[in-house]
Amino acid sequence: MSARFIRVGAFGDAGTWLVAGAAAACLAAMLALLIVLGGAGAAPFWPSPIVEVQTRDGRVLLGEIVSRSDDAIALRTSEIDRIGTGYVRVAPKQFIDSTNPDDAFVIALTDGRRVFGRGDAAAADARLHEMSGADADEILWPNAVGFFARSGIFLRHVSRFLGASSTAAPLGGGVLPALAGTVTLVLLMSVIVMPFGIATAAYLHERRGAAAGLVRSAIGNLAGVPSIVYGVLGLGLFVHGLGADIDRWFYSDRLPVPTFGSGGLLWAALTLALLTLPVVVVSVEEGLARIPAGLRAGSLALGATRGETLWRLMLPAARPALLTGLILAIARAAGAVAPLMLVGVVKLAPALPIDGEFPYLHPSRQFMHLGFAVYDAALASPDAVRGVPRAYACALLLIVVVVALNLTAIVLRNRLRARYRALES
Amino acid sequence: MPANPVTYTAFLNADEVRAVAVGRRRRERAGAFVVGGGTAVVLVALLVIPLFLIHSLLPWTGLAAGTWQRLGVLFAGSVKAAVAALVVAVPIGLATAIFTAHFGAPRLRAFIKPALEILEAIPTVVLGLVAAATLAPWLKTNLATLLLAVIAVPAALMAGGLFFGAKLRRRETWLPLWLLPLLLVVVAAIVAAFARSDQPVIAATTPWNAVLIGLALGLAAVPLVFSIAEDALTLIPSTHTQAALALGATRWQALTSMVLPAAASGLVAAVVLGASRCIGETMIVLMASGNTPLFDVNPLTGLRSISAELAIGLPEAAPPGQSYRVLLLAALVLFALTFVLNFLAERVRATLRRQAGTAAHGL
Repeated sequence: MSARFIRVGAFGDAGTWLVAGAAAACLAAMLALLIVLGGAGAAPFWPSPIVEVQTRDGRVLLGEIVSRSDDAIALRTSEIDRIGTGYVRVAPKQFIDSTNPDDAFVIALTDGRRVFGRGDAAAADARLHEMSGADADEILWPNAVGFFARSGIFLRHVSRFLGASSTAAPLGGGVLPALAGTVTLVLLMSVIVMPFGIATAAYLHERRGAAAGLVRSAIGNLAGVPSIVYGVLGLGLFVHGLGADIDRWFYSDRLPVPTFGSGGLLWAALTLALLTLPVVVVSVEEGLARIPAGLRAGSLALGATRGETLWRLMLPAARPALLTGLILAIARAAGAVAPLMLVGVVKLAPALPIDGEFPYLHPSRQFMHLGFAVYDAALASPDAVRGVPRAYACALLLIVVVVALNLTAIVLRNRLRARYRALES
Repeated sequence: MPANPVTYTAFLNADEVRAVAVGRRRRERAGAFVVGGGTAVVLVALLVIPLFLIHSLLPWTGLAAGTWQRLGVLFAGSVKAAVAALVVAVPIGLATAIFTAHFGAPRLRAFIKPALEILEAIPTVVLGLVAAATLAPWLKTNLATLLLAVIAVPAALMAGGLFFGAKLRRRETWLPLWLLPLLLVVVAAIVAAFARSDQPVIAATTPWNAVLIGLALGLAAVPLVFSIAEDALTLIPSTHTQAALALGATRWQALTSMVLPAAASGLVAAVVLGASRCIGETMIVLMASGNTPLFDVNPLTGLRSISAELAIGLPEAAPPGQSYRVLLLAALVLFALTFVLNFLAERVRATLRRQAGTAAHGL
């Protein structure tokens, strides 16, 4: 009897460990993801050491190690003619020795090429002079400097990545336009989505019955519609439908060049507003529902109408919930890339969607986006050795923005709950 | 007018009182109109998607020969990606939810839930990047390592439970944190043991295959499956568990005999919603599946899904053309599929919530 009891309990323990292990695996996967992203996202800015490799066929190669595997060592040596021409693979049996000479320098040219050499500043100048038609962005002696100097270079690279505008050179320049495009887009989206989201949440909170049930299930289903379908809707209805009509009515002098009839900021913002509507409704409604019923009843009992109660009592009390909804919507919108690919995101926009020229915000302009920059750099560029690190850098920036927004939302929500628990007791 | 709407000062005469009342009523109507109008927009937004798609497919002129076969292949690709993802997401998502809701300490729950919300917030383009640029090259030579880990890790966990479970039963509320280092050691040992093998034991024809999609898309679907399942499990009144424990059941027995049967429909809803999410997901599939339109069930080959086809094809397709119509038809198929799945899952969840409500009132 007792032996049987132990066996049954032990089986349960095995099951418990299994489900606990799954939870641990979940956390481990997340940790691994964050570590990979943090490492690979920061690596492109760290000055990599320059190696000098001697091979059996008598070559001496100066460059940066790009990858190292059992099959070969891949080096990026000087790109004399064009960007992306300096890659050399050294098979293990060709490899003799590699050193990190202290006087090795790297010149980053403004067109994106990297040229290596050895010597002092005069030698670097001479090397630069050989590269006719290009200016130096920076000249570094990474092997000679210590950790702190490297950190300084790292920070300089980061600030340039964040602050500089994109260049025509493939995968060159900073992400400022993409960042500006993303921010403008989500702000415009928020302005559109918040009134509708709040109105719907208020309706759901005030009304019961068949109509409210219908709206509720509509919200649930909208949340489940794949984001790419919103993109199809935005392209077909907004761009090819509304946009083409607007062009025909107001911009007929410019046709056949489309103004609103091609993808642009406004249509992308509208599409994202539809996409994020359920997020706003759900969190605002949750906030309204958490307000103690006594407050609302008290307001009504004192003679305030429903509208006055909503406007002066419920919405102010639910302000953190409104903020939570806004933040979650922004986080969702900042990470949505698939619908944008159909409604106006481009890899290189000629002008920012927001600038100093009247009317300051240009809703018909195409724009750049951080998430699309990730996709574009990772897959659409021919130079994978440059593209993937750049994609990781953009991804890290995107993650930092989105995770910071979400953490803020979570903290706000917890505070809100604590406050209402205090109100009720 | 006074700032406070419910304060009347005594020296207002009847006309002024009436004016105030009329104004308030007018504002009230306007407010109701705004709220109702805003809500109507939401309803229209849901209706406009299928109506627009159907409208732009009309008048129906038929499709070129072979279109249905092509759509069938895309459909199969979407289903293959979703199945691969669910193989990963369902066990991990459900098990994490079960542990969090039934075994975990409240403080652990307060940590795991936001952590998974953060995971859910990670843009899928980033997961696609990690899958395509980092996981794919590793997986190319390490499929056997992955297979071994999938077998060895659960086996090790169950063995650990059999031998040490009874001693640690009092500490099981924090078990995942105890197991985390153990898990990392086991996985690191397996990975290191196979890292130097030159020839892959299992050779896939392409590094961008359904296994890779399963891992990346599965990780993206875990938070959704988790949150729905955890929701369903916490709706089961804790008195169920307490009654079972009082009768001498272990926590595991209370789980399998009381909680899981009661929450079964909610767990099914979690799986269905996870499937719906996976079928519609675009960026991960676009970046890491190779986008080869194949019709087979082999997990070591690539696929092309409806959503990836839309993302690739639509920017180039012109509105009236045949290819544009085919893509809209594909979008309609995708919408209908996810709509049905969502609808079923939401019905199940609503029923469960109502039952929980009556159960709570009955006590």
